[in-house]
Amino acid sequence: MKRGNRKNTVHDVLKRAGRNVKLSMCVMGLGQMLYGQIGKGLCYFAVLVMAVIYFVHRGFKDLAGLFTLGTQEADTWLGIEGDNSVVMLLMGILSAIAVLFLVYCYLSNIKDAYETQKLCERGGRPMGFREELKQFLDRKFYKTVLLLPILGVCVFNILPIVFMILIAFTNYGGSTVPPKLVDWVGIDNFVQVATLSQFAPTFIRILGWNLMWALISTAVNYFAGLGLALLLNKDCVKGKAFWRAFPMLAYAVPGFITLLGFKFMFSYGGPVNQIITGMGHRAVGFLDIDAKWMARIIGFTINAWISVPSIMLLATGILSNRDASQMESAKIDGASAFQQFRHITLPFVLFSTTPVLISQFIGNFNNFGIFFFLRGGLYIDGYFLASDTDLLINWLYNLSINNNYYNVGATISLVIFIITSLISLLIYTNSTSYREEDTFR
Amino acid sequence: MKRKTARMIDTALTHLILIAVCFIFLFPCLWLILASFSKSGSIYSFKGFFPQEYSLDTFRNLFTDTEMYNYPQWFRNTLFIAVMSCLLGSFLVILTAYTMSRFQFSGRKMIMKTTLVLGMFPSFMGMIAVYIIMTQFGLINKMWGLILIYSANAPMGYLTQKGFFDTIPISIDEAARIDGATNLQVFYKINLPLSLPIIVYTALTSFVFPWSDFILPKLLLKEKDLYTVAVGLMNLGETEFSRFAAGSVFIAVPIVILYFCLMKFFVNGMTFGAVKG
Repeated sequence: MKRGNRKNTVHDVLKRAGRNVKLSMCVMGLGQMLYGQIGKGLCYFAVLVMAVIYFVHRGFKDLAGLFTLGTQEADTWLGIEGDNSVVMLLMGILSAIAVLFLVYCYLSNIKDAYETQKLCERGGRPMGFREELKQFLDRKFYKTVLLLPILGVCVFNILPIVFMILIAFTNYGGSTVPPKLVDWVGIDNFVQVATLSQFAPTFIRILGWNLMWALISTAVNYFAGLGLALLLNKDCVKGKAFWRAFPMLAYAVPGFITLLGFKFMFSYGGPVNQIITGMGHRAVGFLDIDAKWMARIIGFTINAWISVPSIMLLATGILSNRDASQMESAKIDGASAFQQFRHITLPFVLFSTTPVLISQFIGNFNNFGIFFFLRGGLYIDGYFLASDTDLLINWLYNLSINNNYYNVGATISLVIFIITSLISLLIYTNSTSYREEDTFR
Repeated sequence: MKRKTARMIDTALTHLILIAVCFIFLFPCLWLILASFSKSGSIYSFKGFFPQEYSLDTFRNLFTDTEMYNYPQWFRNTLFIAVMSCLLGSFLVILTAYTMSRFQFSGRKMIMKTTLVLGMFPSFMGMIAVYIIMTQFGLINKMWGLILIYSANAPMGYLTQKGFFDTIPISIDEAARIDGATNLQVFYKINLPLSLPIIVYTALTSFVFPWSDFILPKLLLKEKDLYTVAVGLMNLGETEFSRFAAGSVFIAVPIVILYFCLMKFFVNGMTFGAVKG
């Protein structure tokens, strides 16, 4: 089992490669076949044949399209069917992935032949095809299992993300959409977002509000949830399951229902306003165009209503793992309830929930639903296609999905990504739960 | 004596806060439930928070008056999408998490870091690309397209499940391996029966997400017959308020019941994700 342990350096392989390995380098699978591993050799060979067919048929064209993004503009008058730059970009990425896959197969083919050569030199016998296949249910089980998930994630997650990253460096958007040709523009979009009077002020304002929103709502939700859990954990509270049921209820109701419900509640004809008018005052536009702080505060409240229960549940689970004897001895030593909380409970909970805190922060930073439902589609003076409650992600939605500013949208996505990933990667790699992953084994 | 009164006050205060908290959480739900039984549909005819007259008409209308708002069809669509995504998605997540927990292979740390980084991208950043991909595959206005996206993206959230598998002692596996079991057998004969809680948790979460998602269906299902409940309910205005309430209650109740029945699994599952990251 341990024979693959020593890393094969490129130098080693090149120097010591026998005839069969060299043949494998020329034609995938040939070496394997000469070792008598017909089945495996045919598999490698089939990959090669399919790759050649693909690249001759369309791969090379696609790959070139990735760089040119189309050369022939469509012209309905002359009946020319032009290039669709966006599809070409997408297909170009696919072909680049195909190249990477081919390189991977090719290297694994050489490595495999080399391993077999070493095995034979030691007097071993090359494995039969059936044995080899069985390995995929045993030693290489992970490869079998991960194949499908990785494929899925590549197509529906990585490919779109790569696509959008590349879009951030093109002029795709506004009036430049197919059938017009799209072109590479370098970092122009980033410069525009940072400097152009159209985007820059909106960007700065929204970024500031977004950071504030994420910080405040994370702190509020976290401590409210923790407090609620501690309250429910008290000895004097009887029938904990009963009390816990109410926050659970709020947690279980699907988010969009909650949000739409609250929107109705604070709308002009809604019950809150009916009570206000009933008392003889004028109706208040809680979510109106000029309701800046009112709408923001309502946003904070509703977000707390939605997120506090989940944090409470989590904290409850964590608190039940707490070492009770520690509390006991602190009590004997005469620590007050607050001291116990400050010096024992809080550090423990904070330690175990660092990852949650990060994901809460990211989740709040990118909290699309709240203001989309409460004040979606509102555009305010002084903001470019956004309102004063919109977070970056709402702006991104307005720009790219409602208004075709794909390139600016992609640029902003990248900025969001850079901010969030820097924060969390830093905390994550420093957190104990990552470094000491195997302590509980 | 003094300590006793102090404790009494403490208890009373605690319960007072708890009652307030419960009221805060209960009230909006109660409001929606009562609204769904109101006789008139519009929110304007309400008296304060509550309807003036009650009847079952709204629920009857919800299922019979389908010309404008075909709720039964929305419901069927949502159910189909959620069930299929739940089955496929859970299968993929469990397998991924198990593998990531049990196998040490080259590229493992890289995969872990990559998924983490990918998770940092704004969720619908790639929506436009997804839209174009789906058009290329001819999967626009097809429910299977949606199911495909949901289940393909499910393995990204494998960390919670991995946290669970990390807690099953690896020595059991080793013992079985010595007895000659293959890794496949170790998985489905030993670890799978032990992981019921996490399977329930996974199934529940991967059911609820498509059940209440509105962005993807809004983007990919443009035909009225293909609306999901979320998209359909979003289009209801203030005059159709009680229809909205009834429709919401009808899809929220099964979920709430599910959550309450499976609460034990759920809390456990969440904690695994939290502690182990």
